[in-house]
Amino acid sequence: MNDAPATEDLVWHRVHPVTPLVRGWTVIAVLLVVVGQQTLNGLPEGENLLEGDRWWMILLGILAVGLVGLGYSALAWRMTSYAVDDESVHLRTGVLFRQQRRARLDRLQAVDVVQPLLARFFGLAELKLEVAGGADSGVKLGFLKEAEANRLRNDLLARAAGLRVGRERPAGAPAATAGVADAAVGEPDGAVPTGSSASAPLAPEAPEQPVTAVGPGRLVASLLRSGATVGLVLGILAIAGVVVGTREIGVLFSALPAVLGFGGYLFSRFTGEFGFRSAISPDGIRLRHGLLETRSQTIPPGRVQAVRLRQGPFWRGPDWWRVDVNVAGYGLSTDGGTDTKSVLLPVGTRDEALAALWLVLPDLGTPDPRALLDEGLSGLDAGEHFVVSPRRARLLDPLSWRRNGFTVTDRALVLRGGRVFRSLVVVPHERTQSLGLEQGPLQRRFDVATFAVHSTPGPIAPKAAHLDSADAARLLDTQAARAREARAHAGPELWMRRDDVPLGERA
Amino acid sequence: MTDPAPETGPRGTGPFDPPGIEWTHVSPRLVTARLLSTGITLAVPAVGVIVLLVLFPHWWQWLVLGVLALLGLWAAVLVPRQVRAIGYAERDDDLLIRQGIMFRTLVVVPYGRMQYVDVQAGPLARRLRIATVQLHTASASTDATIDGLEPAEAERLRDRLASRGEARLAGL
Repeated sequence: MNDAPATEDLVWHRVHPVTPLVRGWTVIAVLLVVVGQQTLNGLPEGENLLEGDRWWMILLGILAVGLVGLGYSALAWRMTSYAVDDESVHLRTGVLFRQQRRARLDRLQAVDVVQPLLARFFGLAELKLEVAGGADSGVKLGFLKEAEANRLRNDLLARAAGLRVGRERPAGAPAATAGVADAAVGEPDGAVPTGSSASAPLAPEAPEQPVTAVGPGRLVASLLRSGATVGLVLGILAIAGVVVGTREIGVLFSALPAVLGFGGYLFSRFTGEFGFRSAISPDGIRLRHGLLETRSQTIPPGRVQAVRLRQGPFWRGPDWWRVDVNVAGYGLSTDGGTDTKSVLLPVGTRDEALAALWLVLPDLGTPDPRALLDEGLSGLDAGEHFVVSPRRARLLDPLSWRRNGFTVTDRALVLRGGRVFRSLVVVPHERTQSLGLEQGPLQRRFDVATFAVHSTPGPIAPKAAHLDSADAARLLDTQAARAREARAHAGPELWMRRDDVPLGERA
Repeated sequence: MTDPAPETGPRGTGPFDPPGIEWTHVSPRLVTARLLSTGITLAVPAVGVIVLLVLFPHWWQWLVLGVLALLGLWAAVLVPRQVRAIGYAERDDDLLIRQGIMFRTLVVVPYGRMQYVDVQAGPLARRLRIATVQLHTASASTDATIDGLEPAEAERLRDRLASRGEARLAGL
């Protein structure tokens, strides 16, 4: 394994030559926005930035900056190349400071094919390989032709799964050829090599089974029933009230940005989660979504660290749920709040949400999973399955003390909480990183403690608040043992390299 | 500041004292280190206020000085107890770290989940011959830091944790 092939043996590929254009235009867009903002800000004071001869100077400036940006992007494109071998993906980048990155395929956490709006016009896509190395640790191959990106994704997933894929020869390993034949039948839009580019690696796209699709009507309805809409409406009403009351139009300008914030959030939720479809394949969970920028995600088996089902107060009527996941490579969203990567289901009925959970954990390890999950989703107080906060915790947590609780199955730890925003978190035992127990002075007075499971960075922080001290201590002890046991029997990182899964089953 | 429970608590009772665990405590020199750094933090504004007091006397400067003195006193009482409350225990498969008196935490870190171990010592800590060992898992919320270890113990712990981690290494 340590005999890594020398870098000279690798076949280096360039990304698509249009890449600099697609990347460079953002510089111009940013400049245009800045100029536009300055002009608008100046207007009330009677200063027009674009007055007289100045407008063409500004235009010239933008053009010059654009050209420089384009030149730099072109240079960067020339210096960027990638290569793939059986164990890793290599990426060379950097104009002045050269960087060569090598991502091990057996550490692959997720593979995304992302198409920003402009790239879609050119039929290009960016391939993002996520590894669990913190912020900016993944490998971005972009831009590639869409078909090429899909082909590369399938190839990488096959290699990451531990399948040997025929490379640089049309008649590769028997499994691969059989796969191509089957895939050609089952996947018309799949990644069957169309042209006969000899250097293209051959790997069939694993067949997939659609699970859930979210229609635009449901998405809009779900957004209308969200807190942001309430904020937006209240904000508009408040502004209208103040403007009418004081007869001063100036309030409008100062309060508008805050209101627009809600609107922007709703808009990005809508575009990000538009056309959401999920599917299951031997390569893992497949997610597709996006209106302007489309994203096609593949999360291999065993890469989901935690799942959360969540329901706000306005979704209670139709009983809708949102399902989020923690995946090591995705981390926390950097653009604040609107995280579309870590969503397993933006909105769905209870059955659909449970189907999404099933994608991650087909076997919950309990004889009657539905009853357990129903109790977890909408139950109150201790029931057949859940151990909850003692009654004395009601002073600490008057709202949700009847919801806080946990239960343990053979495969996972299930944590329940939240009265207004109901949530149910499922953490598979083998995905536990570390465990913690916390107790503040008030909690000690009431003899309760908060139990926490530490998961990889993401939207979910699994916690069971205000458990009885003895319950919490027992849970900490037994959960440590269960996690250890589960880790010992966890599947291999190369998820296809298992004795009980024949190679042909994938195709 | 009313804290009826003794630092270590009765043996084998309470959620923060699992039965059958022998806690190892950290070096008492950590008290000196923490008091010194608190002292310096408090002394800087105190000196500023005293200079002001000499130049432009005003009643509120006494108030600030009084508050700073109270904070110092509080630290002097609290820090030794805090340091005595820090404990860690190596079990067969995981490391337990216990901290705090008012706000108590207990962390269980499985060796197989460890990604890397940090050993740190600042200038003050080096002079006092103590070091900090920090364990990192794939989770950012794992707060597994042991402060105030003897350098030899820190190294032993680091090597031991690293070797145990390797033996029990698992994916994420």
